[in-house]
Amino acid sequence: MAEVKSGFITTTVEVEGRTETRVVERPAFEPTPWGTDAALTHVGQSPPRVDAPEKVTGRARYTADIQRPRQAVALFLRSTVAKGTITHFDATAARAVPGVLAVMGPGDAPAKTRLFPSAISYAGQPIAAVCAESESVAWRALRAIVVQIDSLPFAATFEATAAPDAPKVRSAGNLAEPIVVSRGDVAAGLAAAEVTITREYRTPVALHSAMEPHGAVAEWEGDRLTIWESTQGIFRTRNDVARVLGIAQSQVRVIKEYMGGGFGAKNGAGAHTFTAALLAKQLQRPVRCVLERDGEQMDSGNRPATTQRVTLGARRDGTLTAIRLDADVPLGISGWEGGPAQLYHELYACANVHTTERFAHINASGMQAFRAPGYAEGAIGLEGAMNALATTLGIDPLELRRRNFAERDPRLDRAFTGNALRQCYDEAAERFGWTAPRPAPDRAHPERVRGRGVAAQTWPTGGGPPAYATARLNNDGSIEIASGTQDLGTGARTVLAQIAADAFGAALHDVRVVLGDTERAPYAGNSWGSMTTASVGPAVRMAAEDARAKLLDAASQLLNVPADALETRESRIIVRDSDRTMTFAEVTGKLGNVMIQGRGSRGPNPSDRAIVTVGVQMAEVEVDRMTGVVRVLRIVAAHDCGRVINPTLARSQLEGGILQGLGYALFEERRLDGATGVPLNPSLHDYKIPTMADCPAIDAWCVQNVDADANHTGARGLAEPPLIPTAPAIAAAVADALGVEVSELPLTPWRVLAALG
Amino acid sequence: MRLTINGRPWEGDPAGETTLLGLLRDDLELTGTKLSCDRGECGACTVQLDGRTVHACLTLAHGCDGQAVRTVEGLAGPEGALNDLQAAFIAHDAAQCGFCTPGQLMAADALLAANPRPSDEEIRAWMAGNLCRCGTYPNILTAIRAVAEARSRG
Repeated sequence: MAEVKSGFITTTVEVEGRTETRVVERPAFEPTPWGTDAALTHVGQSPPRVDAPEKVTGRARYTADIQRPRQAVALFLRSTVAKGTITHFDATAARAVPGVLAVMGPGDAPAKTRLFPSAISYAGQPIAAVCAESESVAWRALRAIVVQIDSLPFAATFEATAAPDAPKVRSAGNLAEPIVVSRGDVAAGLAAAEVTITREYRTPVALHSAMEPHGAVAEWEGDRLTIWESTQGIFRTRNDVARVLGIAQSQVRVIKEYMGGGFGAKNGAGAHTFTAALLAKQLQRPVRCVLERDGEQMDSGNRPATTQRVTLGARRDGTLTAIRLDADVPLGISGWEGGPAQLYHELYACANVHTTERFAHINASGMQAFRAPGYAEGAIGLEGAMNALATTLGIDPLELRRRNFAERDPRLDRAFTGNALRQCYDEAAERFGWTAPRPAPDRAHPERVRGRGVAAQTWPTGGGPPAYATARLNNDGSIEIASGTQDLGTGARTVLAQIAADAFGAALHDVRVVLGDTERAPYAGNSWGSMTTASVGPAVRMAAEDARAKLLDAASQLLNVPADALETRESRIIVRDSDRTMTFAEVTGKLGNVMIQGRGSRGPNPSDRAIVTVGVQMAEVEVDRMTGVVRVLRIVAAHDCGRVINPTLARSQLEGGILQGLGYALFEERRLDGATGVPLNPSLHDYKIPTMADCPAIDAWCVQNVDADANHTGARGLAEPPLIPTAPAIAAAVADALGVEVSELPLTPWRVLAALG
Repeated sequence: MRLTINGRPWEGDPAGETTLLGLLRDDLELTGTKLSCDRGECGACTVQLDGRTVHACLTLAHGCDGQAVRTVEGLAGPEGALNDLQAAFIAHDAAQCGFCTPGQLMAADALLAANPRPSDEEIRAWMAGNLCRCGTYPNILTAIRAVAEARSRG
């Protein structure tokens, strides 16, 4: 390991496609990168998830499973109008229901919480909460609340909110400042083009639909608050709660042991968190507030809709000369400007790119990051247009992509730490049989037509600081690694244990990883942006190596040999070139209560390098021209994420992203009633997500690679990338089958039939 | 009312509106069975009632009088030894976040009892009512297939 002068430095980190500049502490040492030839025992293997036994026995406790003594239940009453003013609120009858403990309505919560305003700005907005001894009592009381709302004209589409006479959606204005990003000269690039195509694509509002809804349990002990929360960010949740309630961060503890998925929608405290905390304080009892399914589907975040007008210019040989995008994105009542443009700048080598994103607020629940936010939407437009261009030019769509491969990050003109996209193209084409002759049409069913399509992706997956971990060796030889990150179901607990075991030279079963508790573990950031492995992995490795160095120091005294003559393997210390060994437990047993501890932190990313995960997917579909039903027969997916820590878990991530992409392509679409702005399908019956019956044959893998330049574990992120190319690959396959493009997702039977005319 | 819950007798008189799910989770603290949609759309609350799968969220507790309820907590053998289906779910990574897993297990267990050698198409059809947003379906299918094959070999 190299000694480095510690201190604070400025570095950049890419989060969900946005670049942030941060001042971070440089670690005291940086371990030597694990290169291709690193001797690793656990990393690269596929041990089962360390927490799998808890999950198959029902012992894993999720937020709603927390049962504190005297715990009460809180539920929301939600607005059934999209915009209006509450003119009358009467909870007298609700309070009289036996078992009701408290009602909070307009004006009852501190302004900073923004809970229960009397001005309604979207359907599904919480307007009151009831707290009761049980859920059924709370339900009864909710129905007894009398509310009068004077409804007002609303705007629930981009067109409506951008109209000159639109109702005011937000006091600061309905339209946000457009984001315009340009490189080169797109007009010149279009003038130089031999072929130009223009297309318009529309993508739907998609809902995260995690199986576990948002929820919190809050409990006060004196002035200290503990919150169990289903969250992707325990520290962010803690800081949100402290800020909004006006208490110190040290008074708030946030715990998340298990959670039932997040996918981007659970990045901080929400209305349910503040409601549980306020009611728990008022009642001096623990309070649970977990969203019901309709609340979850109506008001817990979404991937916003987009309209993308795309123009591509190219030479006859397929070389791109210009990429132009004009996009409209209705964000909902709130949300950040996560638009589709970034992918247009990053995926292909093209000198002239110009994108304009117009963002608008509408009277609908606010957006939240949703697995590959912006890029998943952008891939529909960019990859759809690339496939249309390939058809126009008569060039194979995979070949068109090879010809426009970006050797360097085209957005910022910097080298990649690694980019094996061409290897992904080759391996996927081979395993899919991309150039193989097509099977003969089904003579018995001439209406069933098959097609195949391809799409690629890139996504920034470098992770970065700050992220911290500690390691401690107990005197029975067991190891505890602690980091304030969280495992959403991704397998973070397992891959961090594998990294720690190799860094320590310990047996995997001796390593326990403690995550998801702001009081037990040092800071790590949100589990978003496919950042956890690449951010926290190096900190864990460093903490384990720091503790290992101390263990070897102690062992050298006991064995009377220099520390550098020692190595560690499977929880044993071995004197090199001898048969003398001691187990970790024998060393620590002799040390008594001397505590062997290690500290690790994530160092800065290499400057002026792009760190990305790339990949390609190919889809084969069968479309029934009579009914319009699309069936995905198979997906082949090859991605490059640097070193794979656990191939089985990586494949699970790939399959999960692909299946969410399949849902985005075929079924998923939040519908608002045009006349009222009320969500029409806030249930899992009416908002369709894929089932096992929809599941195609999936052949997904990560190409063999190690990216020792990205960070010293050689691993980049993987969670979001596989979702990006699935839907455009399916759309391309449908277009190939039908001979006509369906330019609006999802590809429902009626859209397919409409496209057929 | 009387029930047998995971092989043990239980007697009580829950409120008339109590669902089987509420009885299990809130009264008996058997929280392995999950609440997700509360209207029979997702399968997360799947338990077995006299061997058939039911949505515990849509089943009134009193309607189960005299019947045998089996939940995920009842799958493991004495002293917590995992059964073959649980072991296969672990070996084939058939649980990502794990929230839908108890329901998946109870549905799969009932499938194998009803049809010891299901085809892939039969597995897909039977399991289609148990949603998994992490997209673990390929691994769940593999795990079920592996158990069916292992059991048929005896």
